[in-house]
Amino acid sequence: MFKKILKAAIAMALVATLGLTGCSNSTPVESKIEAIKKPVVINLEGEDIGYPTPFSHYSRGPGSFKMALIFDSLLERGEKGYIPWLADKWDISTDGLIYTFSLKENVKWQDGTPMTAEDIKFSFDYYTKHPPVSNDLTVDNKSFIQSVEAVDAATVRFKVEKPLSILLGKIGNTRIIPKHIWEKVEDPLKFNTPESAIGTGPFVLKDYNKEQGAYKFEANKDFWGPKPLVDTLQFIPVSDSVLAFDKGEIDLTGNITTDILPKYQNDKEYKVLQNPAFWGYRLIFNMDKRTELKDKDIRQAFAYAIDKNELVEKVARKAAVPGNAGYLPVGHVWFNPNAKNYEYDIEKAKQLLQGKKLSFKLLTSNSNNTSNSNNSNDELRIAELLKISLAKAGIELSINSADTKTRDAAVKKGNYEITLIGHGGWGGDADLLRTAYSQEITSSQSPSTNSIPGYSNDQLNKLFEQQLYEMDAAKRKKIVFKIQELIAEEIPQIPLYNTTGYVVFKPAKFDGWKYMFDHHEVTHNKLSYLDVK
Amino acid sequence: MKYVKHIMIGIKRLTVLGKIGLGVVLMVLFLAVFSDWLALHPYSIPSGDALEAPGAGHWLGTDDLGIDIWAQICFGARISILVGFGTALLAGIGGSIIGIFSGYSGGLTDKLVMRLTDLVIVLPDLPMMIVLGAFFGPSVRNIIIVLALFSWTIPTRIVRSKVLSVKQEKYVEAAMSYGAGFWHLTLRHFLPNILPLVMVSVIRLTSRAIVAEASLAFLGLGDPISKSWGLILNHAINFKGIYFTDYWKWWVVSPITAIMLLVTAIAFISRDMERIINTKA
Repeated sequence: MFKKILKAAIAMALVATLGLTGCSNSTPVESKIEAIKKPVVINLEGEDIGYPTPFSHYSRGPGSFKMALIFDSLLERGEKGYIPWLADKWDISTDGLIYTFSLKENVKWQDGTPMTAEDIKFSFDYYTKHPPVSNDLTVDNKSFIQSVEAVDAATVRFKVEKPLSILLGKIGNTRIIPKHIWEKVEDPLKFNTPESAIGTGPFVLKDYNKEQGAYKFEANKDFWGPKPLVDTLQFIPVSDSVLAFDKGEIDLTGNITTDILPKYQNDKEYKVLQNPAFWGYRLIFNMDKRTELKDKDIRQAFAYAIDKNELVEKVARKAAVPGNAGYLPVGHVWFNPNAKNYEYDIEKAKQLLQGKKLSFKLLTSNSNNTSNSNNSNDELRIAELLKISLAKAGIELSINSADTKTRDAAVKKGNYEITLIGHGGWGGDADLLRTAYSQEITSSQSPSTNSIPGYSNDQLNKLFEQQLYEMDAAKRKKIVFKIQELIAEEIPQIPLYNTTGYVVFKPAKFDGWKYMFDHHEVTHNKLSYLDVK
Repeated sequence: MKYVKHIMIGIKRLTVLGKIGLGVVLMVLFLAVFSDWLALHPYSIPSGDALEAPGAGHWLGTDDLGIDIWAQICFGARISILVGFGTALLAGIGGSIIGIFSGYSGGLTDKLVMRLTDLVIVLPDLPMMIVLGAFFGPSVRNIIIVLALFSWTIPTRIVRSKVLSVKQEKYVEAAMSYGAGFWHLTLRHFLPNILPLVMVSVIRLTSRAIVAEASLAFLGLGDPISKSWGLILNHAINFKGIYFTDYWKWWVVSPITAIMLLVTAIAFISRDMERIINTKA
């Protein structure tokens, strides 16, 4: 009897479940609509890189791009070149001394105040007094802007001292800050209230947790420009980026090497992009600290004794290209393929050293998480291989390591003998050679502007100046080619390799990722998150 | 001959697990001492292709630079043993001396020393070790010193309480009444009493130090190019997407196995020693 009742009960339960599943099957249309309405939340790997204002962010890519989500500039870096952004049109006078920008209409700050030409004038004036973290407005540590004038509410006019080839990008890339907030601020480094993170940009900072290194941005509903595709953008700390991506904690990972590439490449669920070679490692010689490095033969011996292909194969797991002695990486628009190249040749290195035994201290980082696409131990591994191969030529390296931020600061101050440092920005305008090969320390804090202490070459300096003032692009290109040949011969620093790692994401969730024309990272591109064609 | 007999009797009193533990420790010691002969390849120079799977040429495979992992494990044993026993001896001897002194002197000295041990015990040791390790710079010697600075309190407290009780014994009081000094009492009466206790705590400190060194190295705070077990693990774990490849099977598993084997073996020995010596008595 009891068994019968039990059976009946089970049968009833089964019928009921069937009925329930039937119900849920009959509502696919509704759930689809819900899926469309559901806000797009994108999670990315993050860490603390400072408060996202032009003055407080950390001087590496992940820091400056988070700031750029909030703060707009006159121009923006598109896929092929600069595109109009806050400025609609611009005009350069024939003598190259006057730049006039007409602004877009109806641009509002995130607090509702309209943005005018006064704000632009204010921003540039403010930056001459208080240089921001990425200061683009100086040449040889002097501001090149003579005056900024707000002609009317929608027109700004810049007067410069001399016609320079690089001005449009430099002015265009400068972040605009609201006058009504910043005019009262005396010390911008200490100004970290929520008010300080008000810009005209497509995203609003909702939450910043310094201890966790977490950021939360939400789409700016009143954004003047293209519609944001992402409603919430979050940066969360993860221990292993690939693992976190696999578990769905983050929506994109840049830490893909050739070892695990097949797993994603052959799966339709994933999309793979290969980064351009605009992030790289270089070995900088401090000739102030070790004057024997002023000897070109010794520097060339270093170059011959380093097996760049081995580094690419072992440390970068083939997701990189060997560095060029002429600095500009393969893929740079002005890369000169004819510059001298140093093939690995221990015998030649020994000849150049003439039996000298040298020993140097090499400073590296031991926790390089400050670039999304690069993992922590690469610099130590490179250092270990350098130590082994240089020892064969008779150069002894002792390796000192510090965490990235300490190391970056030491390098800025010139506190090292030789340093191994990885950073982005290798795809920028060829004028970057001027900052990377001068001995002057620029006011910009970015590691890509690190110069070579104690190095100065008259011929090179003259060429740098020439290309700076050459307005004709074809002629300028010729000069830049010559510069590359010269620095390849002189080799005052050694570019080791440029990473070309892979980025993986699920297009079904979000498929907006795009590259900027001169940058290695899709997540650093503001346009990735916006509806731009 | 007499000592050998003592040791043989001691070993006989160990349990099976204790004997296995002793065997493992001796084996690791053997590896550490004879690593130059046991490893076919150098521990710091690439000897094969990157990430070769374990095979005839490379028993435990190679790492990303092509360096033989078996050679690194052998050499890493040297660092682990050095750090483990170095720290334990330094902390054991230093801590015992402080403990005897404190227990013998009594009064204000005793109070001061005990409050100092309270202070060191209360300090969270791993964070402090990270700070001190970063401050003094990463080298094996500094790691031993820093670890010893945080481990001396355990032997100190045990030794002090024992000395306090031994001091009450009639024969010690008698010796004192005949004018025996600190050194005489220490050598003749205190040391024989505290030696077994110190030995047990030294063994405990050893495994603690080995784990601490491995964790510091794992966190990237050790000597960046030494080949300690923790550092091998650190490099392996930081390899991009290691868990989606086969490499973890030899590159991660080998150092973890080595650390676990050694620490477990020492734990077995220390358990048996405690039983034999009977610390509660």
